[in-house]
Amino acid sequence: MLEVSQLKKKFIRYNSKRKKEEFLADNDISFQAKEGEIIGILGPNGAGKTTLLRMIAGILEPTSGIIAFDEMNFKSNEIEIKKNIAYLSGNTKIYHSLSTYELLKMCCEIYHVDQSLVESRIQEVTNILNMKEFLYNRIGRLSTGQMQRVNIARCLVHDPKYYIFDEATNGLDIISSQIILNFMKEERKKGKCILYSTHYMEEAENICDRVIMINKGVVIKEGTPDMIKHETGTTNLRDAFFQLIGGNISEK
Amino acid sequence: MKSNVWSILKKEIKEMFRDKKSLSMMLILPIMIPLLVIGMSAFFDSQMNKPIEDYNKIGFAYEMSDVEKDIAHEVGIDTVFGSEKELKRKYLKEKIDLYVTKENNRYIIHGSESDNTTYATALADSYFSSYKEYLQNISLTNYHVSPKEIVNIITVEKDIVESENFFADYITNYAFLFIIMAITVSSTYPATDATAGEKERGTLETLLTFPIKSRDIIVGKFLGVSLSSIITGVISLTLTIVSLLAANHMFKIYEDVNLMLSSESMIFAFLVIIAYSLLISGLCIAIASNSKTFKEAQSALTPLTFLSFFPSFVAFMIDLKTTTLLSFVPFLNFTLLFTDITSHDVNFIHVICMLFSTILVIIVVLSIIIKQYKSENVLFNK
Repeated sequence: MLEVSQLKKKFIRYNSKRKKEEFLADNDISFQAKEGEIIGILGPNGAGKTTLLRMIAGILEPTSGIIAFDEMNFKSNEIEIKKNIAYLSGNTKIYHSLSTYELLKMCCEIYHVDQSLVESRIQEVTNILNMKEFLYNRIGRLSTGQMQRVNIARCLVHDPKYYIFDEATNGLDIISSQIILNFMKEERKKGKCILYSTHYMEEAENICDRVIMINKGVVIKEGTPDMIKHETGTTNLRDAFFQLIGGNISEK
Repeated sequence: MKSNVWSILKKEIKEMFRDKKSLSMMLILPIMIPLLVIGMSAFFDSQMNKPIEDYNKIGFAYEMSDVEKDIAHEVGIDTVFGSEKELKRKYLKEKIDLYVTKENNRYIIHGSESDNTTYATALADSYFSSYKEYLQNISLTNYHVSPKEIVNIITVEKDIVESENFFADYITNYAFLFIIMAITVSSTYPATDATAGEKERGTLETLLTFPIKSRDIIVGKFLGVSLSSIITGVISLTLTIVSLLAANHMFKIYEDVNLMLSSESMIFAFLVIIAYSLLISGLCIAIASNSKTFKEAQSALTPLTFLSFFPSFVAFMIDLKTTTLLSFVPFLNFTLLFTDITSHDVNFIHVICMLFSTILVIIVVLSIIIKQYKSENVLFNK
């Protein structure tokens, strides 16, 4: 189980008078995510979704608060936690000079996949994501959709327990984004825990078991899509979100 | 837990060897070494062994006695006679290399500074020195004085140990200085690519989500960049030895010296190359890691490039000698040891001091970068 408690992240920025000022990208965020769940992290651009997921993935250090994976924290068990995580964002880049096969093999080595299982694991992932035709091609020569499949493959190859997807479908065509959505559904069936941030409310409504709505770094609502719609008296999550922020569409 | 250094190193090697720019940076400067050695040797040789026919046509605007003609012939002058006006015209048309006029006992050598005139002037000096000695001998004999008693009234002998061969020293020192330059240039590109380049391309974020200790990432990258520098260094050293050997056989200026390094000198040279490659790779990674973009890293590394050449030039210019203390000074110690290697005068203690100082600097530098990679600042510089 993933437990996030009172998480805060402070950044320094320059104001209009070019003076340094502190601001909280995330403030007091708490939630739990269990096995077999897809948790949607929803909010507009700049809401603090990426910062939150980067902290959960161990790329950013929280200013305060607790992140615990199966009661382990990054300070004492960073490597052990990272072995059970797969992080994929819309901006995640992979090594263009390597072939898909080489990348997957490198990931198997890094995640210490049993040597005798490496080849079969690569073949399995290749079949799942239909990558046979470009397995030995350099990643730099693949199309955007193929590249995103390779990105998913490198997340999948070590069979992680937790997936962290940060706007992973951003900028992808309908087929490529559907591959990711289908993949998440399949992994949920296997009992994996998936955190999925997006600003596509409809997408989240279709796939997520629970959603956490964030605006300006604070959680404004948490619950199942049905529950949120019911409580806000709306018919979709988009309207629910606007209802919760009082119809204020300012991004400041 | 098994170390991931090897996985990172393999990735770095694949990226480096598949990148045309990295490969060209590794090879461009070493390939220039034979050109430098052979080119400079050919130039020196052409200057030192210039055929006398190229500069021995000297005009005389006066009648010469038979004795003067004999002396001129003895020193190798091809005499040309004519009026001052004619000789001047011939000189301007480069048909003679200089000309001499005479007013009573005053001889004037005419010409303007040029390669051939310089050589012809030396020839004319030699002629007038011999002619003056002949006249002095005649005068002294007329006064019944033995010229030997006057001319050799004192004798001066030189007991100065001279360099075996100036050109050999010059060419070997420059060749080894070029090896240092080649290693420096070849390490800056892969170091930039492995740190700032990876940050700019967005792959560093991916790498940091992997279960790898920052120590393993840095050591893997450091070894990858060092390998590139060592390859450049070894290619440079091989080409230097081959081109020095070729020059040794091709040019007369080296006929009295042996430019071949002894096996002991080669081992020392190899040690210096490895140590320098490791040091410069560590420093390049440390500097480039602080930059957000490839371009920014390249600019930040420019002063390091100069810093690596500067002590070498200074040491070379002021003819600095290796001491135990100087063997601890990074950059300077490599140049001084290379100079010792070329003069077959290496002190093993100095090599040990250099290795110790280099290892110490590398440990400090790597510790700083590892600490930096543990912090989020490596991705999100403030």
